[in-house]
Amino acid sequence: MNSFEFDFSGLGIGEESIMKYLGPEEASLNYEFRDLIKELLGKASAVCSPAAEYRIFPAGEWNDEAKTVSPGGVVFRLKDIVYKQLSLAESLAVFLCTAGPEVEKLGRKAMEDGDPMTSYIYDIIGSAIAEATSRMLHAEVRKAAGNSGLKVTNRYSPGYCGWDVSDQHSLFRLMPDNTCGISLNDSALMNPEKSVSGIIGIGREVSFDPYPCRFCRMKQCLYRNTM
Amino acid sequence: MEDILARIARCVESGKTDKASPYPPDMRGSEGADELTLQAINEGLGAARILDEALIPAMAIVGDRFSRKEIYVPQMLMAAKAMNSSMKHLKPFFQSGETRRKGKFIIGTVAGDLHDIGKNLVSMMIEGGGWEMIDLGVDVSPEKFLKAIEANPGAFVGLSALLTTTMENMKKTVAVLKEKHPSVKILVGGAPVTMEYCEKIGADFYSPDPQGAVNYLKQFAV
Repeated sequence: MNSFEFDFSGLGIGEESIMKYLGPEEASLNYEFRDLIKELLGKASAVCSPAAEYRIFPAGEWNDEAKTVSPGGVVFRLKDIVYKQLSLAESLAVFLCTAGPEVEKLGRKAMEDGDPMTSYIYDIIGSAIAEATSRMLHAEVRKAAGNSGLKVTNRYSPGYCGWDVSDQHSLFRLMPDNTCGISLNDSALMNPEKSVSGIIGIGREVSFDPYPCRFCRMKQCLYRNTM
Repeated sequence: MEDILARIARCVESGKTDKASPYPPDMRGSEGADELTLQAINEGLGAARILDEALIPAMAIVGDRFSRKEIYVPQMLMAAKAMNSSMKHLKPFFQSGETRRKGKFIIGTVAGDLHDIGKNLVSMMIEGGGWEMIDLGVDVSPEKFLKAIEANPGAFVGLSALLTTTMENMKKTVAVLKEKHPSVKILVGGAPVTMEYCEKIGADFYSPDPQGAVNYLKQFAV
């Protein structure tokens, strides 16, 4: 059973990890918003429900021309960047992670109440929880692969690095219904929103790149080089 | 003594919502946009004056400072929060028809994309520019935009996309809207969007920051 529930205290999320998304240190924002961040982190940590699950599939056929791979009978159209990083993998860990629905509900309520700043901080906290959860999941996959003498790649998600977000539907076909309470709508968006889906390559010849953002064209991404 | 409209404007610029708000630290304990707006109304200043002489100029300053990277998203959001606290007292006058807005603006993040921070910033700045906002949210289908246009003739439309992969849906949305309503003005924005892309898909305007959209709309204000 490769499913996990994580405690917020083990995710390594503190005030500093939220502040770095607010602006540069010299803007003195850390001082001005520290109390608010602390308060909202406290509320979020009390209600969030981070969970993750993965399943391993033989990679199937790699098609160098079409840049596709076919684990478990579905086809992922990876495009150049993701295909290049994964194509030496012998198997793929397909995963879903979530921060749970609670923090985004707090954020929506704040927005409805006319407080966009509180909503923004909840949004950052929710993203941080989802990302930390996927990092914990990645560590579990790495540990399991290492026990068999195998290595892992970075994790890649539909919607990024040119991989079409519509492949979410294929990814979800490989996981049991309602995994971690996550559902997918017709536009290929997940509910809860603060969820991460993706794949990790496993094999003897694959490698982990510590600087994956250099492949991405989203130069203005809030999370560039911070993960 | 400082004019009350100038005080409201200063509260909005600084993000001072109400007396209880601890932000900004140098205005702790003083009245905010909430109390001052109520006071201005009680003194007989019309909603239109408060909007035109306090909120709109204040939000324009905030937008310009953000464009020049003198302030960041948090300060802009605090300014928007202060604006909201003032606007809640003005809304009854808009709803009764006693005070008119500059026009209507429909905004949404395109289908397949759930990112709303950029869209919300633009929405707040355009509302602060005196426009009535119709926010359709995220993952908005072309059909939903069409319905909103049909329910609000003459409205302008803003489309947001954050993912390179959902820019294609922006293109489809523009095509659908322009086919049915060729005269509708469509503004586009989002991290991967450029002026070149705006022109390529047949949209009318692109700005890399919210204030650019506010400035573009000024020429159409009624």
